[in-house]
Amino acid sequence: MRRATTLLSTLLVAVTLGVAAPAFAQNPIQADGVNPMGARPTADSVNEEFLFKQDSKIPGRISIPDQKAAILIQPQGREYQAFREGWLPWIGALVILGMIAALGAFFLFRGRIMMEHSQESGKKILRFNAFERFTHWMTASCFIILSLSGLNYIFGKRLLMPLIGPDAFGALAQWAKYSHVYLAWPFMLGVAFMFVLWIKDNIPNKIDWAWIKAGGGFIGKGHPHAARFNAGQKGVFWMVAGFGAAMSVTGLMMIFPFALTDINGMQVMQVVHSVIGIVFIAGILAHIYIGSLGMEGAYDAMGSGKVDLAWARAHHDLWVEQEQARTASGPQLKGHPAPAE
Amino acid sequence: MKAFAAAVIAAITLGVLAMFALTSSQRFAYQAFATSGARVSEPGTNLVGPRWNGAPRPDEFESEPHGKAEGEGSHPKRS
Repeated sequence: MRRATTLLSTLLVAVTLGVAAPAFAQNPIQADGVNPMGARPTADSVNEEFLFKQDSKIPGRISIPDQKAAILIQPQGREYQAFREGWLPWIGALVILGMIAALGAFFLFRGRIMMEHSQESGKKILRFNAFERFTHWMTASCFIILSLSGLNYIFGKRLLMPLIGPDAFGALAQWAKYSHVYLAWPFMLGVAFMFVLWIKDNIPNKIDWAWIKAGGGFIGKGHPHAARFNAGQKGVFWMVAGFGAAMSVTGLMMIFPFALTDINGMQVMQVVHSVIGIVFIAGILAHIYIGSLGMEGAYDAMGSGKVDLAWARAHHDLWVEQEQARTASGPQLKGHPAPAE
Repeated sequence: MKAFAAAVIAAITLGVLAMFALTSSQRFAYQAFATSGARVSEPGTNLVGPRWNGAPRPDEFESEPHGKAEGEGSHPKRS
């Protein structure tokens, strides 16, 4: 009897479901995602908008130790790519070509700043000793390679690859990348050496302000007073120190990727490194111009280390007086005919 | 001139030392992040795509995707 009751109950449930189920089945007229009750069944489910309110990127879950591979969506990457492929080449071209054009215009306007001869002409004074010149040239030679290989990151595929083909460009770009990463180390060491060597002569003071107000001798005749370094040279020093430090920090972040930053930080480092690098190159172009073509006698300071005393008197009169006073009172150069030599 | 020559030699020497120091501690991602339970395939040689800008070609998804793993993969562990 009990078994018959169970059987009957089961049959009743089955019949009820068989009749009722089609009524609850999806209506073919009903739109997808909308149930007959008028509610959207996926409305409360997790979506991108909800996840981005909690974090700037959407991570997943992975089983390999490389946790950065778990990032599924990082929208800032699109902004980074737009900068890298869109803005950066234009910024680079405008700043660097603009500086070359400005220097060319200045050369046409002012011409080469010639040495002013006096009775002191022909005598030499030591401006930079051997270690100072070694430090300068180690940093400078690395900077030139770093600049060219750095510009290759931006312009190589646009300018070089169409000329030499993708295979040659690939090999060249790979060697440029090696030189960029490895010569960064002597460059950083050189910047550190220069900072220690020359900071005492590069502290800004009132003489610099007077030098700037007088146009630095570039405009008009005559030379304003200057100690060992004038305000322009101090500007170059602090540019190299500041930009050198910034390039070192951001460069180290890229040599050791993801060591201290996430993907967003890596993108920021690349943006900072590239923008500062471009301005740095433009600034050093001006430094190279004035130290070679732009001013007669200036190259000797870093060439042989000794400059014409008349040139030194015209451009760094306070330093010459200081050196002559030191030499006259010191025993180190006794017997030398030329002061401070 | 001596200072310049010494500077160039020193730069190259330091660069070579940096190369040895860095390469000794570097491994490819597919080597560094593979475990006994997870294989990370070598991504190939050109991760930036055929136009070197990271963007796909318009017809790329109809043909072979860039960055496809090339070469012989490691044998999966049987257990």
